[in-house]
Amino acid sequence: MEAIKKTGFTVDGDSCGKEEPKSKPCPRPKPGEAAGGCSFDGAQITLLPIADAAHLVHGPSACAANSWGTRGSLSSGPQLSSYGFTTDLGENDIIFGGEKKLRESIHYIAKRFTPPAIFVYSTCVSALTGEDIDAVCKQASAELGLAVVPVNSPGFVGSKNLGTRLAGESLFQYVIGTQEPQVISDTAVNLIGEYNIAGETWDIEKLLNQAGIRVHAKITGDGRYKEIAGAHRAKVNMIVCSRALLGLGVKMEKKYGIPYFEGSFYGVKETSYSLRQLAYLLGNREVERRVDHLVEREETRLMRELAPYRKVLKGKKAVLYTGGVKSWSVISALQELGIKVVGVGTNKSTDGDIARIAERVGDDAVYIPEGGSGRILKTVRERKADMVIAGGRNMYMAIKEQIPFVDINQERHTAYAGYEGLLRLAKQVVHVLDNPVWKMVRTTPPWERGSVDDH
Amino acid sequence: MTTRKIVKPLSCNPLKISQPLGGVLAMQGIYRSMPIIHGAQGCTSFAKTLLTRHYREPIAVQTTALQEMDVIFDADRNLEEALETVLSKHRPDVIGVLSTALTEASGTDYLAKVKKFKRDHSLRDTLVVTSSLPDFRGSLESGYSLMVESIIDGLLEQTERRPGKLIKDQINLLPGSHLTAGDVMELKEIIGSFGFEVITLPDLSTSLSGHLLTGFSPLTRGGVPLDSARQMIRSGLTIAIGSSMERPARRLKNAVGIPYRVFPCVSGLASSDEFFYFLQELSRESIPVRYRWQRESLLDCMLDAQFNYAGVSAIVALEPDHLLSAASWMEEMGVEFKGLVASYETPLLQNLDREIWIGDLDDAEQLAEGADLWISNSHGKSGAKRCGAAFMAMGFPVLDELGAYTSLTAGYRGTMELINKAGNRLIQREENAHESSVCHG
Repeated sequence: MEAIKKTGFTVDGDSCGKEEPKSKPCPRPKPGEAAGGCSFDGAQITLLPIADAAHLVHGPSACAANSWGTRGSLSSGPQLSSYGFTTDLGENDIIFGGEKKLRESIHYIAKRFTPPAIFVYSTCVSALTGEDIDAVCKQASAELGLAVVPVNSPGFVGSKNLGTRLAGESLFQYVIGTQEPQVISDTAVNLIGEYNIAGETWDIEKLLNQAGIRVHAKITGDGRYKEIAGAHRAKVNMIVCSRALLGLGVKMEKKYGIPYFEGSFYGVKETSYSLRQLAYLLGNREVERRVDHLVEREETRLMRELAPYRKVLKGKKAVLYTGGVKSWSVISALQELGIKVVGVGTNKSTDGDIARIAERVGDDAVYIPEGGSGRILKTVRERKADMVIAGGRNMYMAIKEQIPFVDINQERHTAYAGYEGLLRLAKQVVHVLDNPVWKMVRTTPPWERGSVDDH
Repeated sequence: MTTRKIVKPLSCNPLKISQPLGGVLAMQGIYRSMPIIHGAQGCTSFAKTLLTRHYREPIAVQTTALQEMDVIFDADRNLEEALETVLSKHRPDVIGVLSTALTEASGTDYLAKVKKFKRDHSLRDTLVVTSSLPDFRGSLESGYSLMVESIIDGLLEQTERRPGKLIKDQINLLPGSHLTAGDVMELKEIIGSFGFEVITLPDLSTSLSGHLLTGFSPLTRGGVPLDSARQMIRSGLTIAIGSSMERPARRLKNAVGIPYRVFPCVSGLASSDEFFYFLQELSRESIPVRYRWQRESLLDCMLDAQFNYAGVSAIVALEPDHLLSAASWMEEMGVEFKGLVASYETPLLQNLDREIWIGDLDDAEQLAEGADLWISNSHGKSGAKRCGAAFMAMGFPVLDELGAYTSLTAGYRGTMELINKAGNRLIQREENAHESSVCHG
């Protein structure tokens, strides 16, 4: 297929777009200058979007208390996952063990909220004291006749990405394949690694429906436990922008024979590629035809509607600093708007990601390999960038320096996926750059303007 | 009266915020400082993200980035490395080492490590302090006040407890964690208007109130400079706002004999009166005209608002000092309490003559049935919605709301703002109720 070659993915016969995750050990974070979250954080980001499940954190209150209710993943129905549950381990529980408390907590949640499943997360402290959460979950599951899923991803095992991977393991081991779905469509696909930030999953689902593709299980944005339990009956897995969940795709292919591919919905090219790839892997002529129509129609429409924005954005320079996979997928989107990417954060990217970044930006961009606001600012200055596109943690650093900023991470409120999303991104960037505030904040107060010279 | 608890095995919708986060917050109020959280990376990144979102400012904080093997073999090697890096790269004036549940439970001897580090580097210009802040105890408020206590200990040690000449007109202000950056600014101005020099520790008003100092630094960009903080031991008096700040104030008294006065709160008419009267007596100056005006405005505002507050019942869930402070102005408006919920137990709460619940936002929701007004941090929003109560965000964190950190809650002006703000939420709720009854009727 032409579309596949265009984007430079290597395709081999029996397993499409397959790329085994390299088991390169993660470099040890450097004390005193490390940035980023822990594995527990990563596991929660991955699983919390399962909206109808309860998520219980087994540890001191901090792990849950400092993080609950802060993520931008939306649910269209059940809100149970927005509840923060923690066993709130105290000093005595740490000394004498908290397994009893955990068991009682699971029962309490099951009785009061009757969820379809309870995810139980271990933390550094519960791992350190050797709490056997697997055993407690197993027992509770048998007693209650309900899925109680252990998630062994305490913060100190490593990075956020590792946590995401471990969460994927939990899904594979305890959830996927445990229930048979009632409806199985010929065009059923799973979206893996799409978290419905600002409602992006909904936009994607709408788009896929237009092409006659049915979203089978959303793993996990606006997901439901039951649909994920039946995810093994889908025809194709699409790994959306998540290197860390690639392993889940690989395993599902091995066990259930579901082909998978890695794609993104950021930008026209990536969106069209993903649609074509889905159609190709589904092997459905009708879908292929509808995708062709859809792509043609949407691309024409978008080119027309984007024109005024592209005029403004042409030649503008941006520094992009975001997590692993997003870096290359977002680059394409920005380039389509005429924005030149002059700096890219590669702090969380794998070699594969970096190769893709290189493919897109060539030698034009500075790679920012590791932490820190200082390095981002330096790149902005050196390359005379017009804006920074990054996550919330770096937002105020840029704003303090009066550099226009566009938020791209999980706390944002605007959806950028799909054709419509690119239009939104264009509008957002233009609004940010056009804002009179940037000029206003550079003015000096009248009493500081020299009285002798120009005023 | 003792405090009460709803018995359940777990915490649901926690109100508590971790102690290390409180410690990091306190450190933001010291110029050119860097807190280092001794724990896993997440301990730091969660705290940093949450503080950044609440204050809409970059937050200075670093981590020892403990991983499993470090905890098993030698967590303090990471600490040494972190100290080394922070010191050589950024040359901060103050470094705070904050322990966590992880380091406390694993039993590392980080105190000895820091002591050795200080000796080896013969640090004179940099103050390095440690604070034991396990997450399984206390909450934001206790973490903040313990950190301040540790900083005072460090200052005392550095100045060898030799105060030098007493400066009578100099007052130490120890603002509690429940005060906004705007409040701290207001309190400094009020005390200053009576002719006193004020040294504030920590001073969030100059670091987290929104400044535009260009030139990026990972260290704090505002707050009290170390030089000024050292002068604290020569002050004539310490004023602590919030009962949680009594311990740091007492520390100064015990070490160098500075008397102190604790104001459990400075919101509400009676509390503000007490505060202003105290300053007048102390300074023997009359109350500046603008505060007399402010008091009158407040009285007028209370009269205007009483219609909207008539028969109103409320649920309030906050950190202990903040809870007391909110209860005092609300009581003056005749609000009836469905429940007062605190994040953790303190001696102050046990000695109050009213019923206090220790619990979480789920407990608040259980108690809130029929309440008109719900006051808590932003996490309470959905609970308030489920109960049909008007929601007003206070405490920490306040997300998705502009200006929470500069809003005023202290003094006559702060009390007026609070009464108006909550009153407006009640009016809004009533309007919404009308609208929906029209729609469905």
